[in-house]
Amino acid sequence: MSPSAPTVHVVDDDASFLAAISRLLRANGFSVRTYPSAHEFLAQRGADAPGCVLADLRMPGMDGLDLQSAVAQTSNPLPILFLTGHGDIPSTVRAMRDGAEDFLEKRAPKVKLLDAVKRALARDARERDARARQRELRARFDALTERELEVLSHVVQGRLNKQIAGDLGIHERTVKLHRTAITTKLGVQSVAELTRLTQEAGIFLEPARTFPKGQ
Amino acid sequence: MQVSLITVIWSMSASACLTLAAIHLLIWAKDRAAVANLVFSLLAIATAAWTFCELWMMRADTPSEFATVLKWGHVAVWLLIVSLVVFVRNFLKAGRPWLAWTVCGLRTLLLLVNFLVGQNLNYREVTHLGHMRLLGESVAIPEGVPNPWILLGQLSLVILIIFLAEATIAAWRRGDRHRASALGGSIVFYVLISTGQTLSVFWGVVRVPYVGTVFFMGVIAVMGYELSKDAVRAPQLDRKLQVTEAGLRESEGRMSLAVEGADFGIWIRDLARNDIWATDKWRALFGFSKSERLELDCILERFHPEDRDAFRMAIEKAAEGDGRYEVDYRVVLPNGELRWIGSRGRVEFDGAGKPMIVRSVSQDITKRKVAEQEVQTLQQEIAHVGRVSMLGQLASALAHEINQPLAAILRNAEAAELFLQDPSPDLDEVRAILSDIRSDDQRAGSVIDRMRGLLKRQNLVRRPVDVGELVGGVIALVGSDAAARHITLSVAMAKDLRPVCGDPVHLQQVLLNLIVNGMDALGDVTGKDRHVSVSASLDGPGSVEIVVSDSGPGIPADKLTHIFDSFFTTKPEGMGMGLPISRTIIEAHGGRLWAESNNGSGASFRFTLPIAAEDLAR
Repeated sequence: MSPSAPTVHVVDDDASFLAAISRLLRANGFSVRTYPSAHEFLAQRGADAPGCVLADLRMPGMDGLDLQSAVAQTSNPLPILFLTGHGDIPSTVRAMRDGAEDFLEKRAPKVKLLDAVKRALARDARERDARARQRELRARFDALTERELEVLSHVVQGRLNKQIAGDLGIHERTVKLHRTAITTKLGVQSVAELTRLTQEAGIFLEPARTFPKGQ
Repeated sequence: MQVSLITVIWSMSASACLTLAAIHLLIWAKDRAAVANLVFSLLAIATAAWTFCELWMMRADTPSEFATVLKWGHVAVWLLIVSLVVFVRNFLKAGRPWLAWTVCGLRTLLLLVNFLVGQNLNYREVTHLGHMRLLGESVAIPEGVPNPWILLGQLSLVILIIFLAEATIAAWRRGDRHRASALGGSIVFYVLISTGQTLSVFWGVVRVPYVGTVFFMGVIAVMGYELSKDAVRAPQLDRKLQVTEAGLRESEGRMSLAVEGADFGIWIRDLARNDIWATDKWRALFGFSKSERLELDCILERFHPEDRDAFRMAIEKAAEGDGRYEVDYRVVLPNGELRWIGSRGRVEFDGAGKPMIVRSVSQDITKRKVAEQEVQTLQQEIAHVGRVSMLGQLASALAHEINQPLAAILRNAEAAELFLQDPSPDLDEVRAILSDIRSDDQRAGSVIDRMRGLLKRQNLVRRPVDVGELVGGVIALVGSDAAARHITLSVAMAKDLRPVCGDPVHLQQVLLNLIVNGMDALGDVTGKDRHVSVSASLDGPGSVEIVVSDSGPGIPADKLTHIFDSFFTTKPEGMGMGLPISRTIIEAHGGRLWAESNNGSGASFRFTLPIAAEDLAR
């Protein structure tokens, strides 16, 4: 298996179940690593390897929900699939609200289990791609100066050069120069493309830092 | 005619002695056990005889007449001394035997010498009779060649005095002060004087005839007085005895009334004579007729077979201990009726500590036993309900406990199926899977067994129980519930623990209840310090103390006294029966259960259990 192949990390305090599920997953071609506790997993997992987590909800010490919040705060937020012996509604609700990939009974049908694992891995791949693209875009936006970003925020709101110059108290010609610099640095041709890219990079999700005076 | 004072005094003395002798001989003849009276008679007869001898000697006309009377007088002296020694041994119950034997032996030897050597023990030959005046009369005083053996005779008198003095002191020390002073003291006094007088006369220190009688009469008087006191006491005792007997009859009457009133049956077994006596009530209790002869085997035959050994053991234990026993058993009457009997009894021993008599009162306690059994059944029902409700609370945790191995089994089986689809399957892996499946199955099974054990509706049956296993079993049941509630369970067992006597199911119920209570008490406690600990240690030589502590808020002082009340609860869904049931169970085991609040750092529930008897005996 190549080093970049996704790994299923199984965390459960029950050694016998851990052995059983890892056998099943391996037999289905997954790469599996097992951990007897949430702490062990957090200490041993790779920094940025693809995969997903299959964790028992109830564990002594750090339980599944604690593990979920700990994983979410890392740079490699793997999707989490929860396993439980039986339905536990308050925990389920919290887990799902916090973005759990799925919630499975330990004795769930095999197909359902395997599908869920596949789905989680697919989601990880998808999110990993999105994160990579976002990182790449952000790198491009990082090349813009403070003033250029300010101008850009007005441009994506559909304002004209004259209005922008008025708002910022600069010459209309200067605005044009900034726009040229922005399109060159980001490598875009049209305003429409610029707007899409900005949204994709996830900047200006908050309202524009400056707002027209007197309005 | 002139009246002879000497004749009058000596004759009166002699007749007084003879009268006393006759009286006491008569007493002895009526009661052969009164040896003291016989000996006193002999003493008095001897004194009378010697008195005559003395009188004769004083009136002797020739030296040879004097010598002959003195010779025969020694027979009286021998009897006098021997009787005196025997009397002191017998009546004063004192005096060294070897001194007594020495005196008697010497006197007997000297009696022989008296007849064989010389004219008598005192003189080889009485050569001359002197005369002196006594009480206005002329009396004879001997002169002659002393017999050397007389020295031994005088020595025997000294030994006699030592014997008497020692006996008197011994009686005094023993606490028999009256007899020692009145009897012993005066005997010593008079014997001392009469011996002194005899010696002085013999060695010519004073010129008087032998008048020992005068002094010895004192001894006779004191002895006669002491003995007559006994004679007087006899009728007093007799009267007392009559009063006592009347009292005894009265008390017997009252007793039998009480026995009948209390429905007691009494039976007494004389082990030495192999005889059994029982009251009519007792016979009715055991289904025997009034005239039937009672044999131990027949009685034991009436006992319920399961109770015979217990009864025998109770008696044996009593015979080895303080003799008392108390035992309940069933008897099966000839008509098949079952009757509970409560018996209390006492084994009495002879001087050598051998059981002689077994006395026992028995009572029909069938009603009480039936009521007790009903209460017990009820308590067991309540305890059972308690267990069911507790397992209900734990149901979700227990379901998890079973689900876990079942899930492992399922996943293993699915994996094995996939492995076997491979053209060249990894059989080692499959074998490992099968072995895991087996152990997971056993794991699930043991949880079910444990639950079923607790749900079983069973009577309290006590047997030796290992405390470690007991606690371990309960921890296994609550472990997953504790994990789900983020509670740490810790167990600390002392190394020197010994098995306790109890019913494992009921004891697990108590532990389960206390641990679940402890976990419930942690409801509002947040943060790291959420723990319940169980510890066990020896509590004195005969019991084990088990403590369940939690790190909860503790129990307020005003509630501490109520937590064991029925239906007292602080939990919205609680029944308030857990602790009362637990206390009933522990008390039925002969232990105690109580609670302590640890000053804001949680509560401790403590209970004690007796160590199993067979283990204690080891």
